[in-house]
Amino acid sequence: MSHHLFLLSPSDTPLYSLTHYSTKPAQAAAASPLSANLPTWSTSAFAGTLTALSGASSMTQSHYVQGSGVKMGGGQDRHVIQMIANASLDAIEDVMRRDGAMYLKSVDKFNEWTVSAFVTPGNMKFILLHESKNDEGIRLFFHDVWELYVKTALNAFHTAHSAIRSPVFDTRVRASAKKHL
Amino acid sequence: MATIKQHKAIGEDLWKGRTEKINAELFALTYGALVVQLIQDYEDYAEVNKQLEKMGYNIGTRLIEDFLARSSLGRCADFREVGEVVAKVGFKSFLNITPSVTHSAPTAGSRPGSVPQQSSVPTSSFILTLDENPLAEFVELPEEALEGGLWFSNVLCGVLRGALEMVQMQVQAEFISDVLRGDESTEIRVSLVKYLEEEVPVGDD
Repeated sequence: MSHHLFLLSPSDTPLYSLTHYSTKPAQAAAASPLSANLPTWSTSAFAGTLTALSGASSMTQSHYVQGSGVKMGGGQDRHVIQMIANASLDAIEDVMRRDGAMYLKSVDKFNEWTVSAFVTPGNMKFILLHESKNDEGIRLFFHDVWELYVKTALNAFHTAHSAIRSPVFDTRVRASAKKHL
Repeated sequence: MATIKQHKAIGEDLWKGRTEKINAELFALTYGALVVQLIQDYEDYAEVNKQLEKMGYNIGTRLIEDFLARSSLGRCADFREVGEVVAKVGFKSFLNITPSVTHSAPTAGSRPGSVPQQSSVPTSSFILTLDENPLAEFVELPEEALEGGLWFSNVLCGVLRGALEMVQMQVQAEFISDVLRGDESTEIRVSLVKYLEEEVPVGDD
């Protein structure tokens, strides 16, 4: 069972993305240390091969802003994931206007993927694509990511609304994902 | 001379008695913005280090007046006591942190005004180990800064140098390690170069 997290700036620029596999032996080869889950825009040939090998599981997305949309062989789902995430943005904005809360539970559904969203006071959108239902865990996870994001944003060397490259942030988000999802 | 316990008490009192304090986050964010701006302006990390130290020097020369006025401590007997006062009273009253001090003096230190130590004998020095650094809250150094050799809190070295120079001690203060760079701890070494005679300060002709 995999989860895809995207952090979007107020202008809908992806700043960070992560693919997390929970420790349920649902996927065949997916449980292997897929260190190709780089939360960056840089896709590598390695990621492509692994995608082809792991079949149904999805890999990291190429950076949206780069626009080149590097297409790797195999891994159709990756584009589907990206499409689902982008499509859900409209739904999120609708819900945002109606509901003032930060955690917008599940805003969209696509085949087996549910999209949950979390909107911060600074208009950052956290989008999580998941297959199973896990409201409480997801809510806690979002809150954790929010705290980690705030800490990163306070770093003097971080430019507002730019891609988050900090390895510390990455490690902590993964740990939090492991804990809650 | 005041003992270590008295130093701690004095430091504590000074901190509590200070009416104008600044929010720690605001302080850290301001300093961080300052360093980032310097980096953008100079684009050379060694130069940034130097500028931070210079800024600290200017702060230190003024800070010592405030410190002496409030603490009304007398002259320190030796360099060892200087280290104690700096750590327990100085840092405590301005930053509310108490770094630990490790001294390394070959002798028991010299009286102020006496002949400076020979260069063949290692000069007195002490190392301040900061277990927390209010300047570096939330900060993570990017790759380039790590490679370029940036000492993020270098302003502290300047402050120490400036302040001690105003009380007739020429010292050299430098960072040895910094947790921001991945080291175990943050350490500043302050070594005594010489005691200054009462004279016109360098540069003021």
